[in-house]
Amino acid sequence: MNFSIIEQIILTVLILSTFSIFFYEIWRRLRIINKGRGKLPFDYFSKRMLRVFKEVILQKRVIQGRFWPGLMHGLVFWGFIVFSIVTLDHFATGFERSLFSKSARHLYTFIATPFAWLVIIGIVALAYRRFISRPESLGKLSLSSGLVAIFIFILMATYLYGETTLPYLRQAGTLASKINWWLHSLVILAFLSLIPKSKHLHLVFAPFNIFFRPFDTPEHIPTKIDLEASEEEMDQLLQNLTRLSKNQAFDIFSCVECGRCTEVCPAHRGGGILDPKNHFILDLRDPLLNSKDVSVLGQINVEAGWECTSCQACTYACPVGNQVEKSDEIRALQVLVEGKVPQEYQKLFMNLQESGNTEGAFHSSLAEKLPEYTPDKDYLLWLGCFARFEIDPSFTKAVTDFTKILDKAGVTYGVEKDEWCCGDPANKLGDRMTYQFLIDHNLEFLSKTKKITTLCPHCMVNLDKEYRKFSDISYVVEHHTQVIATLIKENRIQVKPNHAGPVTFHDPCYLSRIIGEVDVPRELIKATTKNFFELEEHGSNTLCCGAGGGLWWKKEGTGRTHLIRAQQIVDSGCETVVTACNFCFGMFNQGLGPLTPEDQKPIEIKDIAEFVQERLT
Amino acid sequence: MKICVLIKQVPSSDALIKLNNDSTWIKEDTVVFAINESDSFALEEALQIKEQTGEGEVVVVSLGPDRVQRAIREALAKGADRGIRIKESFPYSSDPFEIASLFAAAIKDDKFDLILSGLQSDDLGSGQTGVILGELLGMSTATLVVETKLSGESIRVKRELESGWFQWVTMPLPASITIQSGINSPRYASLKGIMSAKKKEIRLIEKKELSGSIPSLQSIEHVYFPQKTKRTEMIEGSVDQVVEKLTEIIQRNY
Ligand code: SF4
Ligand code: SF4
Ligand code: SF4
Repeated sequence: MNFSIIEQIILTVLILSTFSIFFYEIWRRLRIINKGRGKLPFDYFSKRMLRVFKEVILQKRVIQGRFWPGLMHGLVFWGFIVFSIVTLDHFATGFERSLFSKSARHLYTFIATPFAWLVIIGIVALAYRRFISRPESLGKLSLSSGLVAIFIFILMATYLYGETTLPYLRQAGTLASKINWWLHSLVILAFLSLIPKSKHLHLVFAPFNIFFRPFDTPEHIPTKIDLEASEEEMDQLLQNLTRLSKNQAFDIFSCVECGRCTEVCPAHRGGGILDPKNHFILDLRDPLLNSKDVSVLGQINVEAGWECTSCQACTYACPVGNQVEKSDEIRALQVLVEGKVPQEYQKLFMNLQESGNTEGAFHSSLAEKLPEYTPDKDYLLWLGCFARFEIDPSFTKAVTDFTKILDKAGVTYGVEKDEWCCGDPANKLGDRMTYQFLIDHNLEFLSKTKKITTLCPHCMVNLDKEYRKFSDISYVVEHHTQVIATLIKENRIQVKPNHAGPVTFHDPCYLSRIIGEVDVPRELIKATTKNFFELEEHGSNTLCCGAGGGLWWKKEGTGRTHLIRAQQIVDSGCETVVTACNFCFGMFNQGLGPLTPEDQKPIEIKDIAEFVQERLT
Repeated sequence: MKICVLIKQVPSSDALIKLNNDSTWIKEDTVVFAINESDSFALEEALQIKEQTGEGEVVVVSLGPDRVQRAIREALAKGADRGIRIKESFPYSSDPFEIASLFAAAIKDDKFDLILSGLQSDDLGSGQTGVILGELLGMSTATLVVETKLSGESIRVKRELESGWFQWVTMPLPASITIQSGINSPRYASLKGIMSAKKKEIRLIEKKELSGSIPSLQSIEHVYFPQKTKRTEMIEGSVDQVVEKLTEIIQRNY
């Protein structure tokens, strides 16, 4: 094909202007991201690259979360990779050059042509889903998605037309081939200029965002409060509370608006107003672009922020690597800056400040019955307020059963009489000052400890991951399920499966998603019953019981967040539900009964410690 | 607008109460103390009035032992401008007339336009201090207020009456009104508030300095948990017979 000098000038101008728009828009966003707090991480480089390979190249999360649409997306994506070379070659043709030798081009056509068909299948299926079947999570119809679907379709059609129908004619440079060539070029350029201003920016940003995603979920910047600080330092601290981190700002420009985060959100599913896709991500995009700065956290819908259970389902579902949840940030702003706190939480904070525990209690009869911790003991048994003050008295058996297991194995343990609340509710509800106060108290005796075990995943997350952000800690924390599993492995206790009706396990979200422990509880249950089955949403796809994020202390409201999981358990047909978190236990102990139909046997709720203890030999 | 808020520190509502050795008061070291609930609504109301009028001063006044200092600090952290504490030690004054007289002596020179207090304290519950204080200082008074509207030299308040009835009253300033719980949503002390509270003044006054002419008309001899006993007697028969039997029982018992 021959191109006149005029054609080449037009082409050059078009390419240059498209690329300048494209890079200008990206540069504009990068400049905002760069104002964020903290640094973008490059540590664990190979681990991060491996993640990019799995989640970008192999499309792992995209496909896992939603199989068919994910696969269709995969087809389009893989097609894109194949076509990147085709595209370069295409533009080279315009300057009467070629990337390939004739035979190589011929060979490449054999690869690209099937891909073109796969891309067409993918894009038509995706367009069907978006414009005809229209699942709610995708939100409002978007013009750019429609354009992109049409663009991709035209690109593939023009390619196929050019390669299959015209291979011999193209040499001759017929009008048809010329028109086809220009159409293909213009669509590519139009597509390129559409990318940065739409959610299609994820094409550029998502791979980097997945690379940068923190290994810890969630990763919120800790607020260290020093009441002796100067006024300027305090102003700076408060100012920082409104600022996104670089990673969070990167997230916002990477979002592809797929709505997976909202689809899995327990508050949303329970009929609440919280919609993480909009409230925690998209609502912040325009403020970022308009203000050219990252002080936008104050824009988050406050009421929505209070509904979040901090379960991290949203972050786990996000295919582009966003840490979605931001209730942490908006609550801290409400508490520390605005002083606007629901009354029930004010009461809770006061109890924590005055007595060091959530209940305002000065005495724990359970702690008195247990041996006291001394440094010669194997474990400090951390009770946590829920167990210590018998918030649900039925849970006390779980604690004593765990101690029976330890006794049987000859493991020594003791409780600390000065134990205060680990601070989870204060931290999650935004009262960083009370949190700091509790941490300072606890670290005083914890610094002399080597090994801690606890039944509460929330305590574990705090003592381990969160305290680490405040101080160099030298102790290790093990969840009681992990301790029991080790004892069985080392043959220090023996269990025998015991007859039981169908048993299922509810993965506590803090244990499965934040601590990352999904295997050990299953090993334990499977060692003790032959009648185990999984709930549909299990492992790191679990659904929160509704108590996380301090919501255990929330006044009874209208939402059903706390009943959705309970209903699933009732419907599962199990006779026993085992769990491994005191809050989950308490939620189900209250929630399952009223939901169970009269003709159904009441479901037993057991902590793993009880379940195992009852089957010791 | 100069506003005075009376606050009392009381055991928090779900505290597990135990009695001291000679049963004259509760054991204080095993309960969480908090600002009396309706007082915290009164404080919020005062802060909102100050914010609306855009000028003036909110002063919190309390009577009590050293622990009360924390309650005053909390009020200052929420936005009150300064505090006054009349120091006392155990045994505490329990006579509302005496308490009101102490307050009157302590604040009379401040010439407040408005005194707000909670409807009643959650521990002793006399519900009189605010009204007596108003009376002693020659102010107009109103109790059980659920809404306030300030206009110039007067204040309009909505009072809660029995069985769902309400009453609007307009009174000249200065006025002392007692606030019903639930009238607003009390704020939480922000970090800035806590920091600035450290610099705010709390004036301490010895109770003795004020007491001279103030009589104490009551003291607590004995506190005890309500005795729960169950005595059920079924009365049967015609209406007349039941009424006759009832009068007889009542007469027999009192
Ligand atoms: S953390 Fe859980 S509750 Fe909060 S927004 Fe994410 S999915 Fe919803
Ligand atoms: S945050 Fe992630 S999961 Fe949520 S809409 Fe955006 S891309 Fe999808
Ligand atoms: S109670 Fe259990 S499921 Fe609920 S938030 Fe905590 S760990 Fe998650």
